[in-house]
Order: sequence, then C-alpha cells, then structure tokens
Amino acid sequence: MVRVEKVEYRPVGVRDLLTEMKDLSELMIDLAYSAALFDSPALAEEVMEMESHIDTLTYLLNMNVMLAARDVEDAESLVGVTKVARATDKISDAAADIATIVLQGIGIHPIVREAFEKVEEQLTRVEVKPKSILTGRQLGELELAAKMGVDIIAVRHNKKWIINPEENETIKEGDVLIVRGAPQGIEEIERVAKGTIQKLED
Amino acid sequence: MITSQGSFKKIVDMLVELKDTSELMLDLAYSSILLNSKELAEEVQALEEHVDKLHTDYELLVLSAGIPPEESKNFLGLIRIGVVTENIADAAAQIAEVVLREIEPHPVLALAIEEAEETVVRIQVSKESLLVGKTLREAQVHEETGMWVLVVRRGGKWVRPSPSLRIDAGDVLIASGYAEGEEDLKKLASPENQSSN
Repeated sequence: MVRVEKVEYRPVGVRDLLTEMKDLSELMIDLAYSAALFDSPALAEEVMEMESHIDTLTYLLNMNVMLAARDVEDAESLVGVTKVARATDKISDAAADIATIVLQGIGIHPIVREAFEKVEEQLTRVEVKPKSILTGRQLGELELAAKMGVDIIAVRHNKKWIINPEENETIKEGDVLIVRGAPQGIEEIERVAKGTIQKLED
Repeated sequence: MITSQGSFKKIVDMLVELKDTSELMLDLAYSSILLNSKELAEEVQALEEHVDKLHTDYELLVLSAGIPPEESKNFLGLIRIGVVTENIADAAAQIAEVVLREIEPHPVLALAIEEAEETVVRIQVSKESLLVGKTLREAQVHEETGMWVLVVRRGGKWVRPSPSLRIDAGDVLIASGYAEGEEDLKKLASPENQSSN
C-alpha cells in the first residue's frame, strides 16, 4: 500500500525549492541507472525515498507559487514555474521506475553494463554505523578522495539531502552517504561506514 | 532460438543513444530557459520527435530479438529502461515548452538553474583563446574544465558538437557541468576577459 502523508504549507522560497528539485532529480537518474547496472537494492531504495521527497517538494512549491501570484501577469508567468517543477517530478518518477526494476528483481541484461560508458565509476549507498570512524568527522579532514579514490556526492541526515556537501559537513551516526568511485574504493568505504575498517590508510 | 549477436549489439547501441539523447535534452531544455532561447527550445522539441521514433524502433527490435524464455526478465528490463528514457525526453520537452509560449519565463527559473549544482553556461570564444582552430576532440574541454559542450552556436545556427568540429573565434559554446568548472571554461574560451577582471 502506498504511504501518503499530508503536506502542510510552510513558506519556502520557490527558487530554493526548484533548485533542490532539479539537483535531486538529476542525482536520482544517476543513482537509478547505477542501481540497475550493479543490481543494488540499497541504491534503489534510496531512489524511492527521494521520489517521495520530491512529491512533497512539488506540493510545497505549488502552494508557495499560488500564494505568490498577485495579478494576472504573475499568474501567467508563474504557470511556467509549476510546469518545470512538474517536469522534475516526472523525471524523479522515471528514476523510480528504474529503481522498481531492481526492487522487483527484474534486472536488466548484463550486456547493457558494458555499453554504458561511465560504469568504471560506481555509485553506492552506505549507512554510517555508530562505531564507524566516520562518525563526528568533517568531510574535508577525511580526505576520502586521496585515500581511497571516492567522492561523497550526497549526504542524507534523516529526510534531508545535502547534494555535493561542503568540506565542513559533519558526518553523524545514522547518516546515509551516496558515494561515487572505483569498485575497490567503494568496497573500502562500505567497510569503513560499517565499522569493520577502523583506520584510513594513506 | 538464440538471439543473434548482431541484433543484440544493435539493441544496446540504441539504448545508449536513447539514454544519452534524453539526458542531452534535459541539459538543453534547462539551457533554453536560462538563455530564454526559442531556438534551443525548438531543438529540444525536434529531439523529442526523434526520440519517439527511435524508441518505437528500439521496442520493435527488442520484441523481434527471439527472446529465450529464461531471459525474458532481462529483456523486460530493457523495455522498461527504454520507457524511462522516453519519459525523461518528454519531461525535457515540457521544460522547453515554457520558453515557446509567448510569455517570458519567470526570472525565478533562471535563478534556480544558475544556483543548481549542475549548471549551464554560455560563453563566446575569443580570438585569443587556445581553443581557436582546434577540433573539439583536440580541445579536451571536458578534461580541462569538467564541462561538457552541449551545442555550439555559429552564425545564428546551432551546431551539434561532433568530436571533429573545429572551433572558430566568435563561436558560442553552451556547456553544462558542475558549477566549479564554469570559471575554468571562461578562462579557456575568453582568457583576456578573465585576466582583466
């Protein structure tokens, strides 16, 4: 059964909402293809979470746009804003459709993996466990790119995604990290997040 | 019945083209809003028709590939991904459509696109630029700046960026990528304007 929540109005800048929706929907496409190519239900689940978050943002954006229109001219020009927002929502739905392929165990033909160019770089989703050495550290001081060749492209604290996080972003226990890198680095960061590796090698 | 290698390769090639085209369209669609460019928006609409046709051919090819029953799930995955690329192309066309209405896009749209992590820039190549006279392959714009050239505007026309396209002074490059690459691209395309700032 689909879980649908009431979305309550709160004043949020339309520009911020739209930027977040654009960023998130584009990240979702990358994540979804990666989930399908590497048959990763964890990534697919993350895409589904993002999809429902974008649904919420779409509601909020529409409410804020409606309240922003003062006259006919505003209304005419703001319709375009809701149209673009709807398009990002549609893109997020498309990404969720790919995620569903993974979650239903349908899979895609292995030959496709070879065809998509960027696949030497893989995406993964890891959850930071309490005993992980990542807990409480800032991204910048970890130097993950230098030490294991991976980039953190997004961090999720509860229901809030931070895309392309800054160096001073502090990782908390329970955070979900979306990581891009070569297969070896990906394997390493998964163990670091779990806490089975307790030291970052230079 | 075993699927022939030839039709297999064709299926994959078409899927890659569908995926790449749908993502290019998205970048072009956001560019059309940022630049309030009807030409770019029309390019997106034209690509949308192209994708519709390509997608139909792709589905027909998958269905006629002689799928062995034990592989039917994998092929269903191929069909579903095809549908996704088509949906993304539709979304891009919807974004571009905003520009084609007779109303100027609301300024908040351009502000949001500029602020996004992946942005679109438009830059004119100056006579002093190292890019002049190089082909896009030689210029290695992506390696140098992290930005992908989406389309080149030359003498009022939009030219698709094939690797053999030679860059002239006066060309306008529309490129997308992470915002950090924007300054690097500006320096590369228009060095004198950058040093004087």
